[in-house]
Amino acid sequence: MTMDTEKLIERLAEIVEPVRPLARPWIRTAAWLLIAIPYVALVVFVVSPRADLISKASEWRYVIEQFAALATGITAATAAFATVIPGYDRKFLFFPVLPLAIWLGSLGDGCVEDWIHFGPDGLSLQPDWFCFPAIVLVGAVPAIAIAVMLRRGAPLTPHVTSALGGLAAAGLGNFGLRLFHSQDASLMVLVWQVGAVCVLAAMAALAGRYLLNWRSIITTKDRSVLLHPS
Amino acid sequence: MQAAQGGDTEAYVLLLKEITPRVRQIVRGQRRFLKIEDIEDLVQDILLSLHAVRATYDPRRPFMPWLMAITRHRLADAARRYTRRAAHELQVENIPVTFSDEGSNIDSDGYRDPEALRQAIEDLSPAQRAAIEMLKLREMSLKEAAAARGTSIGALKVSVHRAMATLRKALIKDS
Repeated sequence: MTMDTEKLIERLAEIVEPVRPLARPWIRTAAWLLIAIPYVALVVFVVSPRADLISKASEWRYVIEQFAALATGITAATAAFATVIPGYDRKFLFFPVLPLAIWLGSLGDGCVEDWIHFGPDGLSLQPDWFCFPAIVLVGAVPAIAIAVMLRRGAPLTPHVTSALGGLAAAGLGNFGLRLFHSQDASLMVLVWQVGAVCVLAAMAALAGRYLLNWRSIITTKDRSVLLHPS
Repeated sequence: MQAAQGGDTEAYVLLLKEITPRVRQIVRGQRRFLKIEDIEDLVQDILLSLHAVRATYDPRRPFMPWLMAITRHRLADAARRYTRRAAHELQVENIPVTFSDEGSNIDSDGYRDPEALRQAIEDLSPAQRAAIEMLKLREMSLKEAAAARGTSIGALKVSVHRAMATLRKALIKDS
């Protein structure tokens, strides 16, 4: 870059076009949910909901865990949208902590109860390879939608933003999974489902730099002002 | 900024001109070791970034924290970029003009037995000798040599290739 800064300002002003300010994070979260929830509902309907869903809806532990998974997804999405707004309060980053703690706490409590009732047999761990691809399937459209929406913001903290976006999609994916997958043993849910959510969020974090970067945000048109000074 | 988001060119110029000295001051304050042109590069990078994400400014919120957040992150990005680049660069005082082994540092690489070479050229067939004389000794181009000999470029290439092979064999045998 060797162009005179004064000239750059003039060129930027020449190409400036009206833009619509991004909505606030919670409004963007609501817009995301408008895309994500119908898709999750569609997948649950196509795969067919679990037979005991009505009776499960009256079990407080199941309701708390589902509520916490959904809340983790929603708060993670709000936090992700806040991180792409320069100058936004960093306390938003801690939004998903409470529902995540409730989710993990409820599952941990379930593990303890299983131990008390069934002894070591209550904590047996079998492979459940269905969870990971199922969460990916349910979370796919929410993940794509949130990635597209996040790219409209400023890539200030790509890894953190991407991890939160991944947590949002995977959390919603797990919420959907438990509506059609009959696996309620706390340890199994903790390892195979919450584990899959954590792995997906970590993978999203690693992809952050490729997904959200200034190179792709600063358009070719913006960059051309440096190459073709008037 | 709100007017600039609406596409108001004048307001945008005014805003950018007003914030540039402030941004420059911050960059200079945090990167004292940089040259003036590098500081200017960073300032321009920040202005371009601001332009690219101007939609993220919420008119109901204060402008300066928004600008400072962009400035801070772009400075950090530039520092990371610099560190990455520096890790792959090797600083040397003098770049050697040749390799250090003895064979590549002899004073002259001239042929050591000109008489044997002249004899070997004379022993070539007339076509090969002519090809060597024109292309290698007189340094004529393929086109010129082909015109002078009244032959094709392809035939000349074949002649010179065969002549070189014959010379190599003859000189190795002599030595």
